[in-house]
Amino acid sequence: MSDQDQFRELIEAYALGALDEQDRATLEAHLAAGCADCSKALQEARWVASQLAYLAPPAEPSEMLRARLLQKVRAEASTANSSASSRGRVPYWLWAGAAALLVVTLYSTWNAWRLQMEIQAVNQRAAAELQQRQQLQQQLDAAKHQAHILMDPTSKKFPMWPHDTQMPRLEATWHPEMGIFVTGEKIPMPGSHRVLQLWLIPKAPGSKPMPSRTFWPDAQGKVVVMVDNPPEVMAETKALAITEEPAGGSSQPTSTPMWEGGVS
Amino acid sequence: MFLAVLTPKDSPEVSLDATLVNRLLHRDVSAFEQLYDRHSRIVYALVLRILQQASTAEEVVQDVFLQLWRNAARYQAARGPFVPWLLTLARNRALDHLRLKSERQRRLEDQSEEPIAIAGAPPEYEKALDEKRRAERIRALIGALNPQQKRAIEMAYFEGLSHTEIAEALKEPLGTVKSWIRNGLLRLKEGLQATS
Repeated sequence: MSDQDQFRELIEAYALGALDEQDRATLEAHLAAGCADCSKALQEARWVASQLAYLAPPAEPSEMLRARLLQKVRAEASTANSSASSRGRVPYWLWAGAAALLVVTLYSTWNAWRLQMEIQAVNQRAAAELQQRQQLQQQLDAAKHQAHILMDPTSKKFPMWPHDTQMPRLEATWHPEMGIFVTGEKIPMPGSHRVLQLWLIPKAPGSKPMPSRTFWPDAQGKVVVMVDNPPEVMAETKALAITEEPAGGSSQPTSTPMWEGGVS
Repeated sequence: MFLAVLTPKDSPEVSLDATLVNRLLHRDVSAFEQLYDRHSRIVYALVLRILQQASTAEEVVQDVFLQLWRNAARYQAARGPFVPWLLTLARNRALDHLRLKSERQRRLEDQSEEPIAIAGAPPEYEKALDEKRRAERIRALIGALNPQQKRAIEMAYFEGLSHTEIAEALKEPLGTVKSWIRNGLLRLKEGLQATS
């Protein structure tokens, strides 16, 4: 079997995301070296893989989801002029970081040609660094996002009081566009196979609580919950609540709230 | 080559999607509404199949369409048709969510949020099959595989598992699992070719 055949045998699984680490690094190095046949085969395999979505049983999203999305999109469209410039601009340091990464990647590829025995180690290191950079970037983005929510004057801050007076209270901050941020400390871990789940209690009489994130406290009992896209807008929400639910969360609360906080 | 890269003018349906995405760049809410109505069912069905929970699936679908609204420029019609791009984005988001739930036990194979380039279907295939008939065709082609082979492909696609993880779960040799997945996708490709 030729080298080219060996690479071609990996293409379909790569398109599915099913390759193990070593095979993936080998194929990515080959693709990075510019093999036109394999690149074309990969494009075709990605299309074939995408068609597997049609194996999913037919299902229809709720009308509520459509309404929520359109409400959010209309709100963003109307405020786009004021915020687009700051949100759309890519910072200089990010471009510099991307350029530096590109240089490192190109050097690694060239070096791999010359020193074939080292190619896998080089690519694995590069992948680990890239992953680390992405994780750091995600953490930085999340921290900035949370800081914006906490400091923005349009955010609304309110406590979430425990039903059990022995429990600590939580602090919630809701920005009308950037989402909800809930923090707390010394929160006990829920029972085995149980999670904590955040709910939005609508103002409209008779409306059911809207399910949101499930979460656990960390080992020190600290809770940091960020909801980027709340299932309801602030003006339509009476309160936030947190219940304990089975692992995976629930579509409706199955227990009484452990914490509640009035939004308005 | 049987799958030619499909340019927007090759199929009216594909061309309409590309036009609608282009209108998103100008903050056109009605274009977003049309894209949502055209494709939310298959996106939701895919995400629900992966996550198995309706409320979480709706959260992810909302996230996918908001990303489309906010970052429409990430889709480039010259690099492939819209629907496979959207489905790949939705699958990656759902698998990310699944991995977070299981404390990052599984690796993310596709590091990019957006597929780099995806070949288009044969134009006749795009024109001839609506969503329902396309689903029937794919199910028939995959249904013709042996049950273990079908299961291996589904585990890779819907659960994001690697060759090794699938071999361990099915208690089958690694080489067998690799062959099943590759041959299964090649047979699917041949079947789709025959459709066109």
